[in-house]
Amino acid sequence: MFSIKRGLIATAVVSTISLVAGCSGGSGTSDTTASGDSTSSTGGTLTIATSTPPTSMSAQNTGFGSESLYTQAVYDSLLRAEPDGTISPNLATEWSWNSDRTVLTMKLRDDVTFTDGTQFNADVAAQNVLRFRDGTSSNASWLSRVADAKAVDDYTLEIDMSEPDPSLEWYLTMNAGMQESPAAFDSPDVETTPIGSGPYILDTASTVVGTTYVYDANPDYWNPDEQYYSHLVLNIYSDSSALLNAIQGGQVNAGLVSDTTTIPQIEAAGFSLVSSELDYQGLLLMDRDGTLAPELSDVRVRQAINMAFDREALLNAFVSGYGSVTEQIWPESSSSYDASLDTTYSYDPEGAKALLAEAGYPNGFTLQMPSSSAFPSQIFPLIQQQLADIGITVEYTDLQIGDYINDMIAAKYPAAFMQLQEDPTDWQIATFSITPEAIFNPFHVEDATVTDLVSKIQQGDTAAGAELNKYVVDQAWFAPFYRLTTNFAVDANTTAVAQTGNVYPYIWNIKPAA
Amino acid sequence: MVRFIIRRLLAGVVLLLAISTLSYMLLYMGSGNIARTILGQSATEDTVAKKAAELGLDQPLLPRYLDWLQGAVHGDFGRSWFTSQPVAEAISSRLAVTLSLVIGTVILSAIIAVAMGVWAARKGGIADRIIQVVAILGFAIPNFLIAIFLVRFFALQLGWFKPTGYVQIGDSFTGWLGTVTLPIIALSVGAVAAVAQQVRGSVIDAMRQDWVRTLRSRGIPESRVVYKHVLRNAGGPALAVLAVQFVGLVGGAVIVEQIFAIPGLGQVSVTATSQGDIPLVMGLVVAVGIVVVLVNLLFDVLQGFLNPKVRLS
Repeated sequence: MFSIKRGLIATAVVSTISLVAGCSGGSGTSDTTASGDSTSSTGGTLTIATSTPPTSMSAQNTGFGSESLYTQAVYDSLLRAEPDGTISPNLATEWSWNSDRTVLTMKLRDDVTFTDGTQFNADVAAQNVLRFRDGTSSNASWLSRVADAKAVDDYTLEIDMSEPDPSLEWYLTMNAGMQESPAAFDSPDVETTPIGSGPYILDTASTVVGTTYVYDANPDYWNPDEQYYSHLVLNIYSDSSALLNAIQGGQVNAGLVSDTTTIPQIEAAGFSLVSSELDYQGLLLMDRDGTLAPELSDVRVRQAINMAFDREALLNAFVSGYGSVTEQIWPESSSSYDASLDTTYSYDPEGAKALLAEAGYPNGFTLQMPSSSAFPSQIFPLIQQQLADIGITVEYTDLQIGDYINDMIAAKYPAAFMQLQEDPTDWQIATFSITPEAIFNPFHVEDATVTDLVSKIQQGDTAAGAELNKYVVDQAWFAPFYRLTTNFAVDANTTAVAQTGNVYPYIWNIKPAA
Repeated sequence: MVRFIIRRLLAGVVLLLAISTLSYMLLYMGSGNIARTILGQSATEDTVAKKAAELGLDQPLLPRYLDWLQGAVHGDFGRSWFTSQPVAEAISSRLAVTLSLVIGTVILSAIIAVAMGVWAARKGGIADRIIQVVAILGFAIPNFLIAIFLVRFFALQLGWFKPTGYVQIGDSFTGWLGTVTLPIIALSVGAVAAVAQQVRGSVIDAMRQDWVRTLRSRGIPESRVVYKHVLRNAGGPALAVLAVQFVGLVGGAVIVEQIFAIPGLGQVSVTATSQGDIPLVMGLVVAVGIVVVLVNLLFDVLQGFLNPKVRLS
């Protein structure tokens, strides 16, 4: 016979389950609402909103860019990049190349200890360099020209190159130069429990992987002048309205704003924007030898495609005007950037048609391109329409983003819409999208002029970059639309300085407002 | 009773095995270039190939699945491909968060729904109308809209609650309550609407039965008739609806969790599924499967307590 008592017991059982469920969650303490310290000064908590979790916290396998803050908090790099891109000392205090730029010798600090007590030295640094080269970081290929790394003495590191790499120092300011304690090398937890020598220590008990990453200041940091906070919290907001609510509710001090439509409300909440331009969006006209689309091997066709786009209109339609129109893939911060190149191809559908007719395609042609729901939905139809206006019929194949990038890199499409970073150095740009081996030159197109200029860049010729830039624009290898503005919002108590070549300001450039 | 429970548990194990096999096959078909998705666009093909080999993506389907199954049987679900976190750890912490939301919602909505349903059934007329309208509105308004309204009004306008985030119940009960109150209210509206309607209908049906008249004629107070006898008879169908609600809420919590940035299953299931994080998705499938089997069993046992006839069938 059922009675009220039994009902109560059942209810009590359910409540107990819920209590147990609540308690057993996570390990130790975890407060994902660690709100920003509103009276922020040295010693408070800095809470930053991010958009993606790190794939790995190990120095060997970590990415950079959108993952940079997570690991910059715990690891020191051999070198440091200033906001304008100049390179200054960090764990390495002096460095020099041999005459043919194949051996880099670095003098290292002798007063650095990892948070597990291990001493940092040249042998550890050599191991870290080789581990990064052999790891699965998305940037592992940066060190592909490193033949060997070894300790000359306790605090002198030598890196031997198989061929010169003018960007090596630049790479060593980022994840490729990050230094991890040798004790972590073989630890089973290395992917989630980092041991570095940097300004902060990850508090794994309070961290909820994929949601919130909590750090405490490293009490033995060798450079205490750059430890502005006693705690650092990185919260991931996958949803732009949740981010906006957190900003309006004063729960974060700073954050990356990906949804430009929320900017007016973010500014109304007393935040200001630290803006920079990092990526460009546009078409990659990859099949320049005409393997899949013979039409693209004619430079006039590629130039006509460049004339088909009303870049201002696309900038407003796609990203609400947050960016600047461009026709080159070099960033404005580069000495090889040439403002006059941005007006090489004006919007001229009639002129484009005439060029196509001159090239032998008076009735246009059909072009195969991939599309993906990973990009804002209005992009693909608008590109299709602009090209249709000059007689080119675009046929899309809709793909998942992983397949989109992979098929592009596997040379399955003659052209594609893409968003790519504009790297700070000529060599990076060349090896990323221009040289025959470059990831974004999937048809491995070779060109005598390009080969000559790239080898000059590799030998350290600083004038060759501008020449290469001009040549690539004239040859219409790409059809860039605009550079995108990256917006990092900071509250009234926080300041930040934008970093050349990175989506986030560097961790030591985010400080309390004076 | 014990045999009934054992039989149901065995059926649950078979069901889990079937679901996990099917899910693995589907995920495998849909997993295009996971290694590329993980590493993004700057990785060279060599690095992508190395990553794929590291994750065992170069293996054919059957050995990969058997490998997973062998680990799963021993409680080892591998690591997330996208965050390197052990799957068991990722899910246990998040499952607890989501369950505390769902259980809170079920308890709150059961109390409110029974009160509303009984009130409507006994008073009829205008009260009944009001309940009907409220229920229809509760059905019609999606819970994320309610969630957005709650954040805007109670968190941002009045500042009574934090707009986003979660505090573990073990750290601070009041802190926990402060972070789950709004999400639970948002989730409860729809559940209340569904259960209240059911309670109202069942109570009206029960009140018309001959035995109710008999009880009244013996002078038993009306409140006792309703709350002891009528409710017990009406409870069965309401419990069934509540069980369905419970399972639905595990999924329904997804959007609400995103709005409040609560680190529950919702957030992780959206990202893991869209990224194709097979180890994590498989862990989720198994965890949610276990929850569904256990919850259904629990509600069936409760039904058995309420109504001895159910036990025999």
